[in-house]
Formats: sequence, structure tokens, C-alpha cells
Amino acid sequence: MSDVSKNTPAGIDPRGPRFGAAITSALLLVTVFLALDSTTLGAAFGVLLVVTASFVIGAFFGNSKHPYGFIFKKFIRPRLAAPKELEDPRPPKFAQLVGLLVAGTGVVLYLAGLTGALVFAAGAAFIAAFLNAAFAFCLGCQIYVGLQRIGLIKKH
Amino acid sequence: MSIEARLALVLGLLAFGTVAGLIWRSRTGRAKNVQSGELINLAEIGATKNGVPVTQFGKKVTFLQFSSEFCTACRQTARLYGELEQVHPEILHIEVDITNRVDLANKFNILQTPTTLVLDSHGRVTSRIGGAVKQQTIEDEIGSFVI
Repeated sequence: MSDVSKNTPAGIDPRGPRFGAAITSALLLVTVFLALDSTTLGAAFGVLLVVTASFVIGAFFGNSKHPYGFIFKKFIRPRLAAPKELEDPRPPKFAQLVGLLVAGTGVVLYLAGLTGALVFAAGAAFIAAFLNAAFAFCLGCQIYVGLQRIGLIKKH
Repeated sequence: MSIEARLALVLGLLAFGTVAGLIWRSRTGRAKNVQSGELINLAEIGATKNGVPVTQFGKKVTFLQFSSEFCTACRQTARLYGELEQVHPEILHIEVDITNRVDLANKFNILQTPTTLVLDSHGRVTSRIGGAVKQQTIEDEIGSFVI
């Protein structure tokens, strides 16, 4: 047992992941809109694939390697004042992993023929991404301990 | 489905997210009184400060903050307590990482991090704060104790 501040990786600008979450939530809202009609369901699947791919990058390579992170660093951050404090990159990475699980479930079920699942997966992922972008909601803060308590996560 | 119906559903989803976010924001970080709270054992929770085990509670009040690894709000909350500790020497802030301590999460029924237990000078829990704490809430808690 030790203080939390130790062994913490280099910080990132907290507005970076929130900027990415804003793009993600917009794309997911488009996905829901397209998934609600059978003639555009295929297009909805295409958009959800893009979002799922972005979650893969975010969950395994982090915000610094993410295209949204790159756009933020190149075009948005130079226009902003310096951040008040830097953020640990692990919480947003964890949130991306949860997003990947939800969106990925939608993709898999769609491919398995359960096409109706797509709109629910996109809707659920939208809520999480939107809360993160608009309210700085931190998924890791809210669910990590709970998942660990019910035994879904084991940390060694 | 018609364009109108789809737009209405999408806007409904957006409204749902907004309401959920507003409710979450209004409820997070508020102190709730704990009736006949338990006595905290500092050795059991493995409390350390700057690497040294903590053996004494704050003169007036102790803020025992439980944090986890994947928690942005924990860092902000710890910084806020740290700043107030500079101004109020009679308070003590302890941060305990429960990422590897499921036993503590179970014992204190922690569902989210940060969760702060407010302790009196004897180490008894008097209130509980779930989520990122606002400075005013901490000031109010400090004010509610008399040495």
C-alpha cells in the first residue's frame, strides 16, 4: 500500500480525451439515426465500425496515438490556454476499453445476424461518450471498483 | 421509420443523456451524514502519507480518501484536499489506493472513487462524500467540527 501519486505515467491534457469523446458521441448519434431505418442499417454498421476501430486505438495505444488526439494536439490545443493540471492517461484508456466492449458487442451481434442489437449498442456507447464530453463523467471512477468487487476484473 | 420519428428518437436520446448528466452532477461530491459511524483502524487500511505510515488522526478532522488507478477525479480531489491542508493545519488528508484492496472496497461499501470518509479527531466516521468534492463542501465539513 502506498500513496497513489507514485508510479504514475506522464500526464496528458484532460481536454484531449474529452474532445475525442465529443467526436465519438456525434458519430454514435449518427449511428443511432441510421440504424433506426432498415434502408440505412448497413451505413449505420459502417459508422459503428469506424467508432469501434477508434476505440481499439484508444484502448490499446492511448490518446497520444489516436487520430482524435492528433487533431486535438495539432489544431485545438494551440488555440487554448495551458491546462490547469495534467491528467493520468490510464482512466481515459480504461474508458476506451469499455467503449470497445460495448460497440464491439454491437458489431459482433450484427454480423451474427442480430441486426437489431446495433442500435442499442450505439445508444449505450453514446450515453457514456456524451456524459464524458459534456459533463467530464469518468467511467473508470464510477465502475472500476464495482467491477472489481463483483469479480469481473482481477488485478494482480 | 420516418425521418421525423428517427429525429425525435435521436433528440430524445440526447435529452436523456443531458438529464442524466445534470442529475449526476448535482448529486456527486455531496456530504452525507453517517449516524453512529465506525472507528477507523489506520493500520488495517494501510494508510500512508508521503510513504510513511499514518498513526494519528487530524487534530480536528481527517479526510480519508479512497482512490483507484483509473480515476481522473481522484487526482483533482487529492489536490484540493492538499491545498486546504496547507491553509488548515488542524486537518489531515489521507489517500488510500484501493485498486488492489477489494477487501476495503467491500468493507466500506465503496462503489465509486473517489469516496471520502470524514472522521472526527477520534477517527470515527461522521460523514461520507461520494465523487469529486467541491471546495465549499470541504470547508463546510471543517466548519462543522469544534476542537
